[in-house]
Amino acid sequence: MGWIQAAVSTVAVLVLGIATPVAHAALEGTVATEQLEVDVSSRSVAVTSGFNGTELVVFGSVANSRQDSPESGYYDVVIVVEGVMSPVVVRRKSSVGGLWINTASIRFGSLPSYYAIASTRPIDEIADADARNLHRIGFSHVPMQVASRGFSSGLSQSELMAFQESVVRLKRKDGLYVSEDYSVAFIGRSLFRAAIGLPANIPVGPVTARVYLFRSGEMLSMADVRVALTRQGLDRYLHTMSKSQPLLYGLLCVALAVGAGMLGSTLFRKASH
Amino acid sequence: MNFYLPIAELSVNIFVFLGMGAAVGFLSGMFGVGGGFLMTPLLIFSGIPSAVAVGTEAAQIVASSVSGAIAQYRRRNVDVKLGVVLLVGGILGSIIGVEVVKILRRIGQFDLVISLAYVTFLGAIGTLMMIESLNTIRKSRAGHVASRRSGQHSWIHGLPLKMRFNRSKLYISAIPPFVIGAFVGFLAALMGVGGGFIMIPAMIYLLRVPTNVVVGTSLFQIVFVTAMTTVLHATQNYTVDIVLALLLMTGGVIGAQFGAVAGEKLKGEQLRFLLAALVLMVCLRLAWDLVVEPSELYSISSLTGGH
Repeated sequence: MGWIQAAVSTVAVLVLGIATPVAHAALEGTVATEQLEVDVSSRSVAVTSGFNGTELVVFGSVANSRQDSPESGYYDVVIVVEGVMSPVVVRRKSSVGGLWINTASIRFGSLPSYYAIASTRPIDEIADADARNLHRIGFSHVPMQVASRGFSSGLSQSELMAFQESVVRLKRKDGLYVSEDYSVAFIGRSLFRAAIGLPANIPVGPVTARVYLFRSGEMLSMADVRVALTRQGLDRYLHTMSKSQPLLYGLLCVALAVGAGMLGSTLFRKASH
Repeated sequence: MNFYLPIAELSVNIFVFLGMGAAVGFLSGMFGVGGGFLMTPLLIFSGIPSAVAVGTEAAQIVASSVSGAIAQYRRRNVDVKLGVVLLVGGILGSIIGVEVVKILRRIGQFDLVISLAYVTFLGAIGTLMMIESLNTIRKSRAGHVASRRSGQHSWIHGLPLKMRFNRSKLYISAIPPFVIGAFVGFLAALMGVGGGFIMIPAMIYLLRVPTNVVVGTSLFQIVFVTAMTTVLHATQNYTVDIVLALLLMTGGVIGAQFGAVAGEKLKGEQLRFLLAALVLMVCLRLAWDLVVEPSELYSISSLTGGH
């Protein structure tokens, strides 16, 4: 029997050219392990002048799924979508002589500009803190390395934590850090999907979707897929020009202003005659 | 209808900013002022980063003052020589101002300084204008006619580097106009204003420039200084948003035409009273934000400023 199974698997590999672990598992005579295969609805998103946010559908399937029905809750899926990593300066105000002034600041070297979690149920029910920390799942596990401290260097650990919490709070307020439990749904025994809203204010840059498959707190498989979020059209042209040829861009702004001012007065002078 | 601003990196409703441009344009047409000192705080209130508000507003002021400057020049109301002296000072002031903005952004104190600058200038000018307009209204009711003091000799006339300004019929040192120009240029770069509210009183009361050339010469200087400031903000701070500027210009140019018509129906002192009230309201709003404990003490910025 074993050689038949092996032969069938080998044929499958030759024909389909995919899913080697399936074949390996079968070849070794062990039980086939689950394997994630994921993709997104769009591998590239254009940020144009009309960009008003978009919806990204992350979908995938569990190869060798052992669940009987989509509703069984046998597997847990967690999707983490991270935007471009960028440095952030966090400032804290305090009252100085009756005025509220920025008095303390911390610069975090690199943290995700956008961070979304979608899961089949609340993430603390899916995995323990160690696993979540290891895989950077959850707002409290977003990496925040202090790059430099300004104004007051003697910040205590609890103050540092207050700064880190403020980043998450402010990012959530801006809609850049989002989490939605129960937003990943199985459609069949192995197929699942989740819709993730990329907001209009998402910083432009590469976006990565990481997908984790859990079973009873144990991570079985992980896969990731990248989405290129790039400026396109007029917006790209103007943004690039403002950075690479700022003098020309500045002169263009002035020329536009002079043109608009002159055109306006000419039009209205004619209209009033 | 939403539009993505390439520099502010925000998706905004274009009608909000067209409307804002039109409203401020209406007021500036009605009161005969540039409007920068109203537009910049409004932009900041509406969520545009303050550095982008200041840089973009410089471009908008070019648009709102260029046609006025040309009209004044055609009517021979510009003292070009005096304007050039003011302008040389203005460019120096603008260079310093843009550099100061860059430094303040890097250390995270730009928002504070711009608020303090606005509270100070709007408070002082609003109060002075309010008192002056109330006095004029009271006097005109009592039947008095305000008399102007004739030119007096002051310490200004003792300074060296005297120049003859023919159109202004002045023979004064070049230092005071240079310093006034530099101060106004500095404020233009820092606050996103044209600076007419400082320039015009300074020309009348300190330099004793005849009133017929004051407005034209001031506009002449403002157009060039704000153009220079626009280019400097674009090259040094990357904070001029051309799309936002275009929205504000479009609204502003249209609004100003209607404002000018409305302004003709009101008396000068009534206009100044209304403008003073408006200026004081903006001032109080900014002062309120500075002294009342904010609900959120923390703020984040990805713009670290400078390069």
